[in-house]
Amino acid sequence: MSKEIIERVEKILPDFDLKLVSQGAEALVFVTEKHPYLPKDIKPAGLTNVNNFIVKYRPRKPYRHEKLDLQITKSRTAGEAKLLYKLDSLNIKAPKLIALDAINGIIWMEFLGFRLPNGNFSSLKNWLWFIEKKGESEAIGQLAKDVMRLVGYAIAELHLNEIVHGDLTSSNIVLVKESETEEKYSVALIDFGLSSYSNLVEDKAVDIYVLERALVSTHPQFSELYNEWLLEGYHSLYSEKKKINAWRDVERRLAAVRLRGRKRSMLG
Amino acid sequence: MKLDFDTRAKPGQKWYIALGMEGSANKIGIGIIKQPIGDPSNPENRSIILSNIRDTYNAPPGQGFMPRDVARHHRNWVVRIVAKAISEAKIEINEINCICFTQGPGMGAPLQSVVIAARTLSLMWKIPLIGVNHCVGHIEMGREVTGANNPVVLYVSGGNTQVIAYSRQRYRIFGETLDIAVGNCLDRFARVLKISNSPSPGYNIEQLAKKGGKFIELPYTVKGMDLSMSGILEFIEELTRRQNEKIEDLCYSLQECLFAMLVEITERAMAHVNSNQVLIVGGVGCNERLQEMMNIMVKDRNGYVYATDERFCIDNGVMIAQAGILEYRMGGNCQIEDSVCSQKFRTDEVFVKWRE
Repeated sequence: MSKEIIERVEKILPDFDLKLVSQGAEALVFVTEKHPYLPKDIKPAGLTNVNNFIVKYRPRKPYRHEKLDLQITKSRTAGEAKLLYKLDSLNIKAPKLIALDAINGIIWMEFLGFRLPNGNFSSLKNWLWFIEKKGESEAIGQLAKDVMRLVGYAIAELHLNEIVHGDLTSSNIVLVKESETEEKYSVALIDFGLSSYSNLVEDKAVDIYVLERALVSTHPQFSELYNEWLLEGYHSLYSEKKKINAWRDVERRLAAVRLRGRKRSMLG
Repeated sequence: MKLDFDTRAKPGQKWYIALGMEGSANKIGIGIIKQPIGDPSNPENRSIILSNIRDTYNAPPGQGFMPRDVARHHRNWVVRIVAKAISEAKIEINEINCICFTQGPGMGAPLQSVVIAARTLSLMWKIPLIGVNHCVGHIEMGREVTGANNPVVLYVSGGNTQVIAYSRQRYRIFGETLDIAVGNCLDRFARVLKISNSPSPGYNIEQLAKKGGKFIELPYTVKGMDLSMSGILEFIEELTRRQNEKIEDLCYSLQECLFAMLVEITERAMAHVNSNQVLIVGGVGCNERLQEMMNIMVKDRNGYVYATDERFCIDNGVMIAQAGILEYRMGGNCQIEDSVCSQKFRTDEVFVKWRE
């Protein structure tokens, strides 16, 4: 089936060399080397990677009525693009918006991340698997701790701006190289397809809970420590911003959500 | 792990026979099935349906069914239907291994009237009771009839809307409605239109929708894995009151919108658990348009849709017998004092002993 969809996207974007990198229920993600509107010799400013761009394509769903499908694709694609723009203006690390074609369901965005030494993409999941292979001292070493705290910090940044991600998993978190010489990373969140604005404690707690569950199922060996560090990082931003009461609300609700633990417990 | 299904079989026993009693909503159904000993997941050991009798209480047009009236209907019919089911099955009462009843979820009054009948039969005939979760009954019957082994289940009926997948001995709820069920939404719309409740409001809407063709935009409310339908209902009721649109077009648009939402969350669940089978159960599962849309979606994923016809989609006694017999064979036994039924009985509360 994906062949037909790929043919369709190639029709919309002829002359772009698209490489499929992931396919979910709702969208396909491609990488391309050609910028949507800049000529070859002008490199885009303000992007960490000027040679690769992400194309996220929401294909037509043939089971839906055409009009309904257009309405949904348009509003979701535009919604996600608006959110990316908002994140950029808030200075939260996430892919920058490059171009939007809402009617065809296409978003162009910045390519974040790099190749790990084992050739895999630097999502948090792949990176944790990579260091877990190196042995326990690496897997729960200082670097892992720093990265997990950064993840928590990044989520807190989102939540303090009343945005919830809606689909946090270790593959929706990407490590970005901060230095070419030493191992220093920053953390970016990707895939805001299910995100929304919300100031509800419940939504924030569920957001964290979903990630906790994802970590337990994909990295069972050390997930307890990872989750602990994650919450440390999350907490640290709240205390920096002197929002301790807000933190307590989330913490309390998270404990309740964990106990409930039956909804959305199908991760993995 | 190897499951032993026959710890309760007496020497020389070849069959298990179960009587299922269902009455969680406006239908009372009694069914009797026979299951050979041995592993029930083996296609050669399929259950045999001996009888499947059902009677439906229909409210007058423009009204919904009231629990009190439904309970009275069930009380009036239960004895006659049990007698008919037994005579049609051509079995002796002492051949029955267990009496299975719906323990929930459902409407309180109708549930209770059938539970009382089940307890009475159990005490009178000295046959063990088995309490069955209504949703699990639907799932087990769907699996049995279609032969789907590990599908993502879309359970859509008048009272429930859930996307379910099996994992580690539970039917886990992936996504569900946040307010009213899809069947309830259709039923209540039928009430506004004052169309007949017979054979079912959903069926009548489906027939009207076949004549419609103009798509009217309605709110589309998928919230992550969950969905919400009360807002859509309110919106379309308002459109109906204004009388600017044809009824057929309204029915058509409502179906298109609701079913697209259902198919979308099902697809998401399939991607999540890496399954390419879908099983549709529940009363709304009879709808041909829903089945058609599901087929289009699944074709794109190279999978299969398993759907059953109205005998098994709509509430019936056989499905309760099927889920109950599995529970019975794994040692289940419900004491009279534990046979209290409940309006709230979640699908994932049931520990599924009979699957690995």
